[in-house]
Amino acid sequence: MKKLFLKTLVYLVLILLIVEIVVRVFHLYTEDPPRFIDEFGVEKRVPDNMGYAVTGNRNQNYSRFNINKAGFNSHREFLPSEDKFEIALIGDSFIEGFHQDFYDSTGKKIENEVPNSEVYEYGYAGYDLANQIHLIKAYKSDFDLIDEIVIYLNYESDLERGFYEPNYGRIKMLASTPFKIRDNIKILAYGSKIGILEPIKRLVSGKAFEEPKDGYQTNEIETVKETEQKTIDLQRIENFKSLIKRYGFDKSKTSILLDSRKTSQQFLDYCTSNDIVVIDFAANFKSSKKATTLIYDWHWNNHGRDIIARTIADYINDKRK
Amino acid sequence: MLFNSLQFLIFLPLVYVLYWFVFKKNLRYQNLLVIVASYIFYGWWDWRFLFLILFSTVLDFYVGQRIYEQGDNKTKARYWLWVSVFFNIGLLGFFKYYNFFIDSFLELFSALGYEIKSAWTLRIILPIGISFYTFQTLSYSLDIYYKKLKPTRNFISFAAFVAFFPQLVAGPIERASNLLKQINTKRVFNYEQATSGLKLILWGFFKKLVIADSLAPMVDDIFANYASYPASTLILGVCLFSFQVYGDFSGYTDIAIGTSKLFGIELMSNFKFPNFSRNIAEYWQRWHVSLSTWFRHYLYIPLGGSRVGKLKSIRNIAIIFLVSGLWHGANWTFVFWGAIHATLYIPVFLMGRNRLYAHSVIAQNSWLPSIKEVFQVVLTFVLVTFSRIFFRSPSIGDAFDYISQIINNFTYQSYVHPMGYRMLDFYVLIALFTLYEYLIRKDERHPFKFKNPVIRLFLYALIVISILLFYDDGVNRSFIYFQF
Repeated sequence: MKKLFLKTLVYLVLILLIVEIVVRVFHLYTEDPPRFIDEFGVEKRVPDNMGYAVTGNRNQNYSRFNINKAGFNSHREFLPSEDKFEIALIGDSFIEGFHQDFYDSTGKKIENEVPNSEVYEYGYAGYDLANQIHLIKAYKSDFDLIDEIVIYLNYESDLERGFYEPNYGRIKMLASTPFKIRDNIKILAYGSKIGILEPIKRLVSGKAFEEPKDGYQTNEIETVKETEQKTIDLQRIENFKSLIKRYGFDKSKTSILLDSRKTSQQFLDYCTSNDIVVIDFAANFKSSKKATTLIYDWHWNNHGRDIIARTIADYINDKRK
Repeated sequence: MLFNSLQFLIFLPLVYVLYWFVFKKNLRYQNLLVIVASYIFYGWWDWRFLFLILFSTVLDFYVGQRIYEQGDNKTKARYWLWVSVFFNIGLLGFFKYYNFFIDSFLELFSALGYEIKSAWTLRIILPIGISFYTFQTLSYSLDIYYKKLKPTRNFISFAAFVAFFPQLVAGPIERASNLLKQINTKRVFNYEQATSGLKLILWGFFKKLVIADSLAPMVDDIFANYASYPASTLILGVCLFSFQVYGDFSGYTDIAIGTSKLFGIELMSNFKFPNFSRNIAEYWQRWHVSLSTWFRHYLYIPLGGSRVGKLKSIRNIAIIFLVSGLWHGANWTFVFWGAIHATLYIPVFLMGRNRLYAHSVIAQNSWLPSIKEVFQVVLTFVLVTFSRIFFRSPSIGDAFDYISQIINNFTYQSYVHPMGYRMLDFYVLIALFTLYEYLIRKDERHPFKFKNPVIRLFLYALIVISILLFYDDGVNRSFIYFQF
């Protein structure tokens, strides 16, 4: 029996070692550059980091990221000045763009379409409108020099709060020893990403014996009753009002990029009646004959980013005329 | 409790430690532990149905002794046998087939022009594994009746035999002459047996998690939306299902046999590389062996087997395949599936080729198979796979529609995975799996029979890596055969 336990243990260690090597050599794990909250209360990445973001078990999507000195994934540094034409593109993971090579981002595509421009992509996975509007206020000196601001708004998830509060708890948690171990042992980082560690996580959180959901998880949106939806819409508009009142909103150079198919008419009407410019890419996406999103993680694919860039560029080029 | 669950990952080492370290010296306590562990294992799904297992256990324990006591009084022995058959088949009939027969009668009357408005269908939950354990207990009474076995006087041993958790819910369906004998004997820890068990468990997990679970989303998608797919996709769908159901069920069996080995118990083999069968008869000697031998011993031979005239033999073959189909599920699709296999088997039987490959495997004495063997294997696979359209479809109508869609929309179009994964990955996976199975085709009990420990180590690592590469978080991980 002793021999069985010992040999099993030795085999287990050796197998894990081989798997760790394979995961590292084939870069099956994804890198998540460290995050922090700066002195202005802005949550972002630790500057000067390069690496690869991976989606799927078998490297289904593999892209390079470059965190610049400002702490955002971009092909360029953010150095606004009076004599240049700068566009700030602010948003969540769609703008952060870990699903694409940093040198082929939406910002880069906009620069190709808008002559003599520099696009600063302030993207960060998990940003909502509160993060975004607070960021503009926090970096006021920079944004005063920036000529155009485009905020990407996902109406269904970005208007859940009416004020900004830095999430120090999450940053602290990500910097804690268990997370450091996870990030340094690549087999754990990989296992965590593909969900195979989920049962162990459930065990640690005391939910090991709860029945998991059967069948395939879908990304269907739950249907909400019309009256409930009205209440939700009103709350979101209230949150929007609260945010712009608290942090300001320069209507002369700020516009909201959104998909009107996923946005309530009430909110669109509110924007129109308050002279808030909306850049709607719904029609362009709808008319596209090719897929606009990746198959693995539903972010915009190269074609989708082309459309987004053209839509924004058309608006800016028109405005500059 | 599923083998591939966190609960089982905690449960197994716990029971193992208690079994070998706490109750090692006392066989009675060890068997009691097996019963308690097995009841927890089963009750994790639904404790109420433990009463069914207990009822079946008490019934056959008692009936077995009564049959034996009758000695040469065949009439009285037969009477007691019928008690066992009546209650065991009665339980199965009620829980599994009641609604099916009621619905079928209603449909029949409706087809004859009589609409019966009140339906007596009940909302019955099908107890997991009922077909497996009722057949196992029934075999005990039948063996005593045929004087192949003496009844045990030890209720604890018998209860452990009925409920032995590794094979309780999906087999192999064991005979008392094999399993009960081992349960009645003091087990001694054997290093070779334990390592062999661990290897089988690893191989079983590979088949379940990598082959079966990764193909499931595609099979589900194709069978659910068959009306919108061209022939190429539909053919692909049923081929993938062939590998899925094989990976699922044989994977379960390997884990069951491997787990039993850890407890010093050898279960019978249930799968012997059926994908390399050279005719349909060989296929049935290699696929779900414990069920086919059950039907052979307790239905086919009592009916006269092949020792009666040709016509009666054909009748007997038809009966066992139809009953075997119905055993799988309360649906005409399974009966039809059985009928297809009977239709395929009877010509082989009439040609006298049904035992031709009973004691050999493909390329028995060579590295590569002959062209004839390749042709035979491909043909058998195609025929078996075709029958699985009925096995997988929700209704007879759907199965025929699936086939007519293949015929009417005979075009090619490359298939896209529902999650967008590269299909090439899965084709390579299936090819490598088939190739590896070919390499180990002579010994289903030892999937890693390589002398070099470094090769073995790399194979184990490869299995773990494959599990990671093909792990799909969203898949329903239940085993297909649990529903039977």
